Amino acid sequence: MSSRGLRSRQSSGVSRIRDDQITDLVSKLQLLIPQIRRGRSHKVSASKVLQETCNYIRSLHREVEDLSHRLSELLASTDIDNDQAAIIRSLL
Amino acid sequence: MASFLPDLEPGPEMSPEFERKKRRKTEGNPSSFHPTQGNRRIKQWRTQREQRIYASNLIETLRRSPTATGNYARDMAYRLLAVSAKGRTRWSRAILLGRLAAGAKMRKHKRAKVGANRKLRKPVSNRQKRKMPAVERKLMALGRLVPGCRKLPLANLLEETSDYIAALEMQVRAMTAISEFLASGGAQPPAGRLVNS
Repeated sequence: MSSRGLRSRQSSGVSRIRDDQITDLVSKLQLLIPQIRRGRSHKVSASKVLQETCNYIRSLHREVEDLSHRLSELLASTDIDNDQAAIIRSLL
Repeated sequence: MASFLPDLEPGPEMSPEFERKKRRKTEGNPSSFHPTQGNRRIKQWRTQREQRIYASNLIETLRRSPTATGNYARDMAYRLLAVSAKGRTRWSRAILLGRLAAGAKMRKHKRAKVGANRKLRKPVSNRQKRKMPAVERKLMALGRLVPGCRKLPLANLLEETSDYIAALEMQVRAMTAISEFLASGGAQPPAGRLVNS
């Protein structure tokens, strides 16, 4: 229902029905995003929260990308045997 | 210490906690998220235990291909993350399916994705502005960022996003810990090992 509304209709009539859903979603997302959580408490626009969410996910993706490259470099240079792997596991 | 070490195969199949989770998996439709179950799952991502299991699985996987590239490491990292989700979320299933159906299916999705992006960007900026409110546009952007969630209704998108973010955060924590450990010369020669134990 709502997904069809998102895709095809852009009239204000349809969006009014889903407004409270959006507000609900946005208020919950707000709690997840560190930047918004730290800063102001309420009064953050839906658009802003969504934007911050997208930015946050993208930055997490970038971090994973960087970390993956770093890990592969580190693992290539240091040869880990079974015992050392066990130590790493226990210390993490 | 032996009880801490998970099996060498990927997938934490060991603990009684996993048995409980296995039972939970069969109850209820994965797509019908209850808030409490969703919150429980999100809290799971934040436990030390989950992070440790993920990190050790990742190390084991990458250790077996020491000459692998960063892209391989990243693919494995996401795949293991999806496995850790134990099929309960849409994004994790999408990742696993995307990796398995390599070649044709992934390429098709990628092309469609790029095409869709282009189509959406140009009309809004260049031609007469199509009246897509900013919020809707950003909802779609969010749906594109979370794997497998492009056509998801609002409530489910929220749940998937929350879980996905929590999982990504754990992934970053785990990979950071591993790389810091390795960078500080954690892989010591046998003499170092004796000191540690």
